[in-house]
Amino acid sequence: MTKYIIRRLLVFFPMLFALTIIVFTLLKLAPGDPYSQMMDPQIDASVFEEQRKARGLDDPIPVQYFRWLTDAIQGDFGDSFRYKGRTVAELIWDRIPNTLYLGVFSVFITLIVAIPIGIYSARNPYSPLDYAATGFGFFGLAVPNFFFGLAVIYIFAIKLGWFPSQGSISKPGLEGFELLKARLHHLVLPGLTLGLASTASYMRYMRSEVLSVLGSDYIRTARAKGLTERTVLYKHTLRNALIPIITLLGFEIGVLLGGAVITEGVFKYPGIGTLFLESIGNRDYPVIMAITLMLGFFTLLGNLIADILYAIVDPRIRYD
Amino acid sequence: MLKKKSWLLFLSFLFTFGILAACSGGGGEETTSEETEEETTTEEETQEPGEKVVVGAMDTAPTGQFNPLFYTEAYESNIISFVYETLVSQNENLEYEPWLAESWEHNEDHTVYTFHLRQDVTWHDGEPFTADDVVFTYKTLASPDYVAAGGVRTYVVQRLLGFEEFSSGETDEFKGVVAVDDYTVEFHFTEPNVIALADAAFYIVPEHVFADVPVAEIPEHEASLMPEKVIGTGPFKFTDMVEGEQYVLTKNEDYWAGAPNLDSVVWKVVSGQVILGQLESGEIDFVADPTGFDPADYEQVAAMEHVEIIEEPDFGYQILGFVHNFRTEEDIEAGVINPDNFVPNPDLQDKRVRQAIAYAIDREALIEALLHGHGTVMNSPIAPQWWVFDGDTPEQYEYDLDKAKALLEEAGYKDVDGDGFVETPEGEPYELTMAYPLGIEVRERSAPIIQGMIEELGIKVNLLQPLEFAAYSDQLEKNTEWDLYLLGWSLGTTDPDPSGLWTATDAYNYGRWNHPEADALVKQAITPPEAFDRDFRAEVYKDWQVMFQDELPALILYARNSLWAYNKRMTGIDHMPWSFLNDPHKWDVTE
Amino acid sequence: MQSQTQLPVNPEPNIEKTSTQEERGISPFRLAFRRFLKNKAAVVSVFVLFLIILSCILAPLLTDHDPIQYDLTKIEQGPSSEHPLGTDSSGRDNFSRLLYGGRISIIIGFSAMLFTLVIGVTLGAIAGYYGGKVDNIIMRITDVFMILPFLVLVLVIVAILEKVTVGIFVTVIALTSWPSLTRIVRGTFLSLREREFVLGAKAIGCSDFRIIFRHFIPNAIGPIVVNATLMVASYIVAESGLSFLGFGVPQPTPTWGNMLSEALNIRIMQYHPEAWIPPGLMILLTVLCINFIGDGLRDAFDPKSNKR
Repeated sequence: MTKYIIRRLLVFFPMLFALTIIVFTLLKLAPGDPYSQMMDPQIDASVFEEQRKARGLDDPIPVQYFRWLTDAIQGDFGDSFRYKGRTVAELIWDRIPNTLYLGVFSVFITLIVAIPIGIYSARNPYSPLDYAATGFGFFGLAVPNFFFGLAVIYIFAIKLGWFPSQGSISKPGLEGFELLKARLHHLVLPGLTLGLASTASYMRYMRSEVLSVLGSDYIRTARAKGLTERTVLYKHTLRNALIPIITLLGFEIGVLLGGAVITEGVFKYPGIGTLFLESIGNRDYPVIMAITLMLGFFTLLGNLIADILYAIVDPRIRYD
Repeated sequence: MLKKKSWLLFLSFLFTFGILAACSGGGGEETTSEETEEETTTEEETQEPGEKVVVGAMDTAPTGQFNPLFYTEAYESNIISFVYETLVSQNENLEYEPWLAESWEHNEDHTVYTFHLRQDVTWHDGEPFTADDVVFTYKTLASPDYVAAGGVRTYVVQRLLGFEEFSSGETDEFKGVVAVDDYTVEFHFTEPNVIALADAAFYIVPEHVFADVPVAEIPEHEASLMPEKVIGTGPFKFTDMVEGEQYVLTKNEDYWAGAPNLDSVVWKVVSGQVILGQLESGEIDFVADPTGFDPADYEQVAAMEHVEIIEEPDFGYQILGFVHNFRTEEDIEAGVINPDNFVPNPDLQDKRVRQAIAYAIDREALIEALLHGHGTVMNSPIAPQWWVFDGDTPEQYEYDLDKAKALLEEAGYKDVDGDGFVETPEGEPYELTMAYPLGIEVRERSAPIIQGMIEELGIKVNLLQPLEFAAYSDQLEKNTEWDLYLLGWSLGTTDPDPSGLWTATDAYNYGRWNHPEADALVKQAITPPEAFDRDFRAEVYKDWQVMFQDELPALILYARNSLWAYNKRMTGIDHMPWSFLNDPHKWDVTE
Repeated sequence: MQSQTQLPVNPEPNIEKTSTQEERGISPFRLAFRRFLKNKAAVVSVFVLFLIILSCILAPLLTDHDPIQYDLTKIEQGPSSEHPLGTDSSGRDNFSRLLYGGRISIIIGFSAMLFTLVIGVTLGAIAGYYGGKVDNIIMRITDVFMILPFLVLVLVIVAILEKVTVGIFVTVIALTSWPSLTRIVRGTFLSLREREFVLGAKAIGCSDFRIIFRHFIPNAIGPIVVNATLMVASYIVAESGLSFLGFGVPQPTPTWGNMLSEALNIRIMQYHPEAWIPPGLMILLTVLCINFIGDGLRDAFDPKSNKR
C-alpha cells in the first residue's frame, strides 16, 4: 500500500505538469489579454503596448510558458496584472482563509443535517418524514445556487434582518470572540446556500447506503445472533455506511476550494472562487495559473485519499 | 431508539441556529470596544452612539491599489478621491478653480504656469505639503520606469518640457515641473498648452513617503496598499479595511478647509442585486459611481421616503459603430495604425446607407424601454456639459423610417429578389455583420432590438453572439469582417478634446474613420494661440460635430443617466455633474 | 455551476441478485420494470415529465408568440390575456419563452447526459475490466480532466467560437463531467472482475466483449442509470448557474436558466413573481421528476434496498 501511495504521489507531478501546459495554452488561445479591457480614450494605446512588452506578453507562448514554469518551480507565481503591486501568492493567501471557513462550515451543515436524516429515512423508508426528506433533498438539487442565495438574502437579511448578507465580517479590527461571532454570523446564509445541494445529495446517498447495508447478509446475521437493534445500527451499519461518505468528502476537497464561485459572488464573500472568475474575465494569467495548479493538486490529493479509503473499505479492490 | 437520537441531532442543529440567530440581535449595534494601539482606529471600530458614520456601496471590490499614480479602476478612485487632492479642481461648469494651489498665472505664450500653493496644508502624517511634493509627483509620472511599473497616466505629463528626454532616460534632470520656493511651483510646457490646467489637475502624492522608493517598487510599497500607510492631504484618511469587503475612511481633524463633520465614511462592497434592499433598510446610506442604481429600479427607489435621488447625464455614451475601413493584415500584425493603408469597407462606404440606418433606429424608444426613460439621446460625441457642445446644429436623426428607406433607395439599395431585404446596387446579396460585447445588461438587450430595427429598414443583419469583453476588444482591433459594433465610452471630465477616439490614427477609433478634414479641425481646436479663445474652440468643435453627424463614424445611441441615491439623513451633499463625491468634509448626518 | 454536479450513487452494487434473478428465469430488466411500476412517486413523475416535455414540443400549438420577438412598448408587463405570464425586460412573451426555453433546457440536460455516458461508461468499463496498466493510464487521463478547470474551458470555447450553439455547450459539459462517471463505472467493474461468475466466464473462454456486455453492464446498470438521471437533473440546474455567470446559452435564445437569471434581482423577485416563478418552478418540477424516476430506478435495480 505504501508503495502504491508513493507511486501515486509521484504521478502527481507529470499530471500537474500536463495540466499547466493545457491550461496555459488554452488561456493563450483565448482572444484578449490583461490589457485589452483597459480602454481609456485619454490613455494612449502605446502605453499598453509598452507594458505588454515589459511583462513579456509579446514573447512566443512556449517562451512565456517556460518562464512561468521556471518561476513557479521556485515558488514564485508572479505578480497579478489586475491587482497592481500584489503578488499572486499574497492574493491567494489572503483569500484562502475565507474559502476554508465557508467550505468547512458548509460541510459541517451538510453532515449534521444529511447523516441523521439519511439514517432516519433508511430506517423508516416510505414514512412521511422519509418522503418529506426526499422532497427536500430533491428540492435542494433542483434549486439553482444563485437563486436560493438571493432568496435567503431577501427573506433572512432584508425582510427579517436576522443575518448579514454581504461580506465575511461586520467591520475591520474585530478580535477574539467578537471576530468569531461576526464570522459565524456572516457564514450562515452563504454556508446554507453552498451546502444546500450537497446536503441534498449526501442525504440521498446516506439513505441508500444505510438501506443497502441493512439489507446485507451480515446485518441479518447480526440480528439473528440477537444483537440489539442499537448495536446493529451503530456497530455494523453506520460504520459501513459512513465510510463511503468519507470517501466522497475526499473527492470534494477540490470542489470546496474552488467551487463556490456563485455563492461567493452573490454574498460578496471574498474567496478563491470569485478571484478565479474575475481573473478569467481579466485574463490575469498568473492568478489563473496559480489557482488552477492549487485546485488541481488538492483535487488529485482528494482522489488519492478517496482511492485509498476505497481500498481499505473494499478488500476486493486490489491495487497492484 | 434511533428515532429519538436523530431528533436529538436535529434539535441540536436547530439549537446551533438559534445561537447564530441570537447573535444577530447584537450584530447591528455592536458596542464592544476593542483594544487597539492606534486611537484613530479605535474610534472607528467602536462606533459609539453619536458617532457620525455614513456607509456607501459599490458593487465590485477595489483591487487595492490606492496610489493615484498607479490605480486604474473607478473603484479605487472612490477611496483615492477622499484621501488625495489636486492643485486645481473643477466647478459645476467644469471651470478650473483653486484647490491646493491658491492662485496661478501664466506667461504670455502659455508655456509656463506658476502655481502658488496653500501654506496651511499638511499630510495625514503631519508633514507639511510643499512644492517638492508637486515636483515629485510629476517627476514620477514622467520617469523612465513608470510605464513598465504599470503606470498609465503619461498623458498628464507628455506636454511638459523635457518629457521625452527624461522618460527615455537620456537625462535625469526633469525640467517640466520646477519648485521655485517651498510654496511656488512652475509647470513648463514644450509648446503653448491649451489644456495646461487639466494637466495640472492630478492627485499629488507625498514626496517624503516615496522619495527613497524606486519607481518600479512604488506599486507594491505599503503606502500604496495599506490602510494607515496611505498618506494624502484630503479630508479623510484611509484607516482600515477588510480586503474585498469594507474600506474605512476616518476624518482628518487637521484638514485645511476645516475638519469634516462626519467621523467616518465606510465603503461596503455590496452585490448589485442587493443594493436596492440595503438602501431601503438603511444599511447603506448612499450609492454613487461607478455603480449607481439600475434605471429599472427607479420607481422603487423613488418610492422610498427616506431616500433622495440624483440624476445626472453621464459623461459618456453608447455607440453603434460603423466600420468605415479595415486595417491590413500586415498592419494588424505589426500593431500599426496607418490611415494610408486602410482598406475601405465596401458595405458601408456610402454615407447614405449609414444615415439611413441612423434614421431607422428609434433611439427614444430604446431609452424609454431599456433605460426606463433615464437616458438622453445624443447627437454629438462631446458631452453636453461642455461649453463647446452643440445640441442643435448637427443632424439630429429623429426616427423616420420612411426617410431612411428613401435614403437607402437613393443609394441604390433595393429589394430585387423580394425576400424583404435589399440587395446592393449591383444586385448582390447585402448583409451587415453586427457584433456586441457582454458586460452591460442594457447593451446586451439592445443588440437584438437594434438588429430588428435595421432589418425593419430592409437591411439583413447577421448578429453575432456576444463576446466576453476581453475577447471583444481584442477582436475589435483585429477583425476584418464586422460592419457594425456596439461599444460604450466614458469621457474625461478635464477637457472636451475628442481626440483619442475619433481621429484616423487613434487606436480606439475602431471604425477606422479616416476623414482628414475632421482630423484637421480636432487639431486646430487645440492649437495655440487661437485655441486659448474659448469661443474659437467652440466654433471649431461645432464644425467638427456637424461633420461627425454627417459622416457618421458611429451613431451615438444614448447617454445613460447616472442615477445616484442617498439617505436623507445625509446633509451637505453638493454633487458635481460628474461625481457625487464632492466636498465630503461638508457632509453631515441628522438623526 | 453547482458546487457539485453529481455524486456517485451506489458505487458498490449488490451483486448476488443476478444469480437469483436468472434462476427465476425472468430478465432483470423486466423484474426491475415491475418493481418500478410499484413506486408511485416514480410513476407519477414519469407522467408529469412526459407532460412537460410534450408541452415544450407542442409549444407552437400552445402559443402564437415568437419567443425572441421583442416589443419595446411592452417592457416587463404583468400577466394579461395576451401574455399570460407577462413580458420580460425586452418585451418578449414569457409564456412562449417558457415553452421554447424548456425545449433547450431539456435537450441540454439529456444530450449532455448521453454524451457523458458514452465517454464515461466506455472509459470506465475498459479501465475497470482490464485493470492494471490500462486502468492506470485511463485513470490518470481521467484525473487530468478532473482537475481541468471547467470555467477556463468554457471561457476559451466561448471566446474562440463565433457561435456557441447548444451542441457546443453540451460538448463542453460532457467533456468536463465524464471523469466522475468514469470513476464510478470503473469502481463497479473493479469489484466485479474478481467475482466467481466472471472468473468462470473467463475460464470457459468467453470474449472480453461478451463478458462486458453480458455480465458487467447488466450488473452495473443500476448505478449507471441512476447517475444518468442525476446528471440530467444537475445539468439543467448547472445551465442556469452558467447563465448567471454569463457563460450560458446567450440571449435571445430562451432557456429556463437564462430566464431565471435574467429576472434575478430584488425588484423582480418582489414585484414580478410571474417572471421568475414559472421558470423556477419548471426547473424544480423537471429536476424533481427526473430525480424521483432515478430513485425509482435505483430501487427497481437494487431489490435489496426495497425492503419495507
